[in-house]
Amino acid sequence: MDQLIINTGFPILSWLIFMPLAATLLLIFFKSDSAARWIALSATSITALMALKLVFAFDKTTSKYQFVEMHAWVQSPTIQYVIGVDGISILLLLMTALIMPFCVLASWSYIKNRVRTYMICLLAMETAMIGVFVALDFVLFYILWEAMLIPMYLLIGIWGGPRKIYASIKFFLYTLAGSVLLLVAIIWLYTANSYSFFIPDMAWQNYSLTAQSLLFIAFFLAFAIKVPMFPFHTWLPAAHVEAPTAGSVILASILLKMGTYGFLRFALPITPDATIQYLPYVLWLSIAGIVYGGFTALAQQDMKKLVAYSSVSHMGFVTLGIFALNSEGIEGAILQMINHGVTTGALFLCIGMIYERTHSRELLSATGIGKVMPVFVTFFTIFGLSSFAFPGTNSFVGEFMILAGAFKYDVTIALAAIPGAVLAAAYILRMLQKVIWGGENNPDQSYLADLNFREIITLTPFLIFVFWIGLGPGVFLDYIHTSVNHLLEQMQVYQAAIAVVN
Amino acid sequence: MTSSMFIHPSLIMIFGALLLPFFRGPFRTPYLVTVPVLTFLNVLYINSTPATHGVVEFMERWTLTFGRVDELSIVFGFIMALMAIIGTVYSLHEKNVWQHMAAWFYVAGSLGVIYCGDYLVLFLFWEMMAFASTFLIWFNRDKDALTAGFRYLLVHTFGGIILLLGFVLRYQTTGDISFVLMDESQAQLSTWLIMIGLMLNAAVVPLHSWLPDAYAKSTITGGVFMCAFTTKTAVYTLARGFAGFNVLIVLGVIMAIYGIIYALRENDIRKLLGWEIVSQVGYMVAGVGIGTALAINGTAAHAFAHILYKGLLFMGAGAIIQAMGTSKLTELGGLYKKMPQTMLLMLVGAASVSAFPLLSGFVSKSMIIAASYEEHIMWAGFLLTMVSVGTFLAAGLRLPWLLFFGTYRGQEKKKFEEAKDPSWNMQLAMIAAATLCFAVGLYPTFLYSMLPNPEISYHPYSNYHLGETLQILAITAIAFYVLKKHLTPKDVQLLDLDWFYRKGGRVFIWCARKPIQNVDNIWGKAYRVVGLELLMTAARFWSWFDWNVIDKILDGSAYTVRNAGRKISGLVQRGQIQQLLCITVGLAMLFIISAIWF
Repeated sequence: MDQLIINTGFPILSWLIFMPLAATLLLIFFKSDSAARWIALSATSITALMALKLVFAFDKTTSKYQFVEMHAWVQSPTIQYVIGVDGISILLLLMTALIMPFCVLASWSYIKNRVRTYMICLLAMETAMIGVFVALDFVLFYILWEAMLIPMYLLIGIWGGPRKIYASIKFFLYTLAGSVLLLVAIIWLYTANSYSFFIPDMAWQNYSLTAQSLLFIAFFLAFAIKVPMFPFHTWLPAAHVEAPTAGSVILASILLKMGTYGFLRFALPITPDATIQYLPYVLWLSIAGIVYGGFTALAQQDMKKLVAYSSVSHMGFVTLGIFALNSEGIEGAILQMINHGVTTGALFLCIGMIYERTHSRELLSATGIGKVMPVFVTFFTIFGLSSFAFPGTNSFVGEFMILAGAFKYDVTIALAAIPGAVLAAAYILRMLQKVIWGGENNPDQSYLADLNFREIITLTPFLIFVFWIGLGPGVFLDYIHTSVNHLLEQMQVYQAAIAVVN
Repeated sequence: MTSSMFIHPSLIMIFGALLLPFFRGPFRTPYLVTVPVLTFLNVLYINSTPATHGVVEFMERWTLTFGRVDELSIVFGFIMALMAIIGTVYSLHEKNVWQHMAAWFYVAGSLGVIYCGDYLVLFLFWEMMAFASTFLIWFNRDKDALTAGFRYLLVHTFGGIILLLGFVLRYQTTGDISFVLMDESQAQLSTWLIMIGLMLNAAVVPLHSWLPDAYAKSTITGGVFMCAFTTKTAVYTLARGFAGFNVLIVLGVIMAIYGIIYALRENDIRKLLGWEIVSQVGYMVAGVGIGTALAINGTAAHAFAHILYKGLLFMGAGAIIQAMGTSKLTELGGLYKKMPQTMLLMLVGAASVSAFPLLSGFVSKSMIIAASYEEHIMWAGFLLTMVSVGTFLAAGLRLPWLLFFGTYRGQEKKKFEEAKDPSWNMQLAMIAAATLCFAVGLYPTFLYSMLPNPEISYHPYSNYHLGETLQILAITAIAFYVLKKHLTPKDVQLLDLDWFYRKGGRVFIWCARKPIQNVDNIWGKAYRVVGLELLMTAARFWSWFDWNVIDKILDGSAYTVRNAGRKISGLVQRGQIQQLLCITVGLAMLFIISAIWF
């Protein structure tokens, strides 16, 4: 228990988790649509403010779990309600809490029917997502992990596009199938750890290599599908294309990070030997994802699909950084998770704004809107540049650190990732060119109105983060530095111990 | 820093130019006069205490010297600042503020070169001159002015690059950037490169063709500035760095002869005067080549005198072009009736350039010739004396005759009838220049006291010199009377070395257009067909693969499970109780049998 700093004061993490859930209860009593919108906005905004307070109170000098709350929940088997944050989860938690109010804003006029139900789904989603990032008990984690699927399933299935049923069932089944083995792994770990689900105690335990390999495979399937890594990505384009804007933003910005977070939180500390054994395969799968995602994105005519495939490519960079197993790589990967959340979330918001006006996601029907929507294309261009890691934007810092880490690990791997960066420029610039200028036979776009105040307010914070992280990444890296270094030190200590035993 | 009160004259010109647009309406004219006058006073002030000012450490590696005030720079700085006043007064009526700014930047560049002490500062101001003066050509509305400006800029950029190459090479071998006299016996590649770069601005043959070309195409007021600054600043730099280089004597004499031959045949007034410049600068270059104290004095004095009378001639030519709208001698003539004052003033200039006694050319040109005899370079002295004949023929007789005497040869009678003397400011500037021509000729001590080597005494008004000059002038006048029908102009483009420039330019353009552009086209096509097409094909293939293979495998397995489930339920759960019983009993039997069996 020495890796915990128990929170004796205000139970802020619990508040973060239950605040949105409480708002869903409140929503039951209000029938009007606008009341639902305002309640959802206030609840998510208060959560965001609390998350900011948490970040300011966070101690950057320790790698221990902070603000820990621990309560007995189920006596037999021993399941505890134990939650806490460390450097790996703090920024992801902050991002989740900050993005949600903008998801509500993005749905303000986009969602026209069953607004109340929709908002309940969003709020339930937030509770589950924050819970996943702070859960320190494996059963608690697993429950919240699976709980995320239900509101997302409903978001796609009810408010989605034409093929929403297909997409939602595919999303649900695929991710659920991946998680089943995770449950088996959890139960095995429970028995191996004197019947405890407490996650920090499971790490660095020197399980046999066979056990580690099996555990790693279970983890890998669950997390790789979530990331998604090539070739487990195929649910993503379908889900993204059919989901409403806020659903796409949540999917891209937060749900995809669950997978990479899982790798960092579970795969590395619990199965270190297996990680090292399978590491080359994972790295090459990452490379394949980077290049493959780039190629497929280049061929898309549907803007949402394009951004969805670009996510495959970008998340490939994140896994590349994680499995480079050095501080540059992992810190870059965590930063890139945030960057991808900011940038891709903003791009989906932008595409949603076009969709609200043209009712089409086709690239060809959105050509040449730069002339009539100058404010919009300014935002769109900046997020596009950020997406292909233009220097000065957030993704540049992240990708640069990841590539630096990859170079440190192996030059061949790093070089193999470079074409992905070039392809990123190709597919984003192709999209920007078409949207801003188009060609000689652009459709008549003169009826389009530029962004309104609400939409500008929605996009501006993303813009701030693009440049803030791009120009001053130190503030953010400070938060993750200690925990990442601690993780790597533990890894070395563990390997040294193994070497002594052998 | 030896003086705390050093303000670089170029700074006054530059800031004056930058502030010029803010002075409008009635404030414009006083301001236009004030800035060059202030500059001139500043030059007088810094000239009064020769020293090295404005030494700056640059990047902790180079010592830059902005203000080297010594014997050589004093006289050049004086005349350049003076000419800035005359030129600005001449152009007071000009409404285009940008033209004034360009002219002042040009003057600032020239003054900067004259007072600099190292190659870096030299290069900075050198390029400032080149770029600023290009605008004096571009502001002309003439249809050829744009291309002429580009030719001018290209030539000077090329010269600048050679100069840069030269002093960078020199810096690499010696580690020194100071701009001082070089030794011909120690000359290296860098020395020659620097010399070529400087010679290009002095219009030394065969690097001269830009001069008549550009000066004929500049604006009327711009031409007055251009005729004064570029070549004479270059002469100054040659005198500073290359005095005594024998090759310059040869080149100078060639220039003097070559220029005058073309001047005798030229049809365009300003081109004619441009060729005259080439010829007169030839004297100065030869003087630099001789390099003795007297020769350098002669060079400085001749540059001084030349700026005044050539400025005067260019001002007169400008007045005529402005009044008549043409610069071709074939379309002019008989203007004595219409522009008498212009004629008188131009005659002063023409007499000065022809070295009439009592005028400035007489007291300066002969110094160079005398220096060549003193050094026993007889051929140079003789040839330069002979060129005087040509000078008198071309500028002293042929030009005034064709402009002012005879009858009008052009077609535009109305223009001719309306022609009159130019505005007061232009006349004032011309009168000032003419007065100075007389002043220098009548009271040479004024000029001589400023020369770099004041200890050398020279007396132009000796009996021998007067007699020789008057004889030459008289015989030339008779020869002109006899030969004048051969000197009538023809409206043709004279073939000069710039033929090679033009051809060279065409070959360059051809190279760019044909082989290089073709290679680029092929490369572009390869990029499109091989690169882009391949990329997009690959992208489409992987997209197809994603949809039809990966997705189909996943969906296929899901559908297979669902269909299998349906099949089984369809097979098994038909809802008929007998069938279900049969199957149940059958399965139970199978189970029991297998349990017993094993």
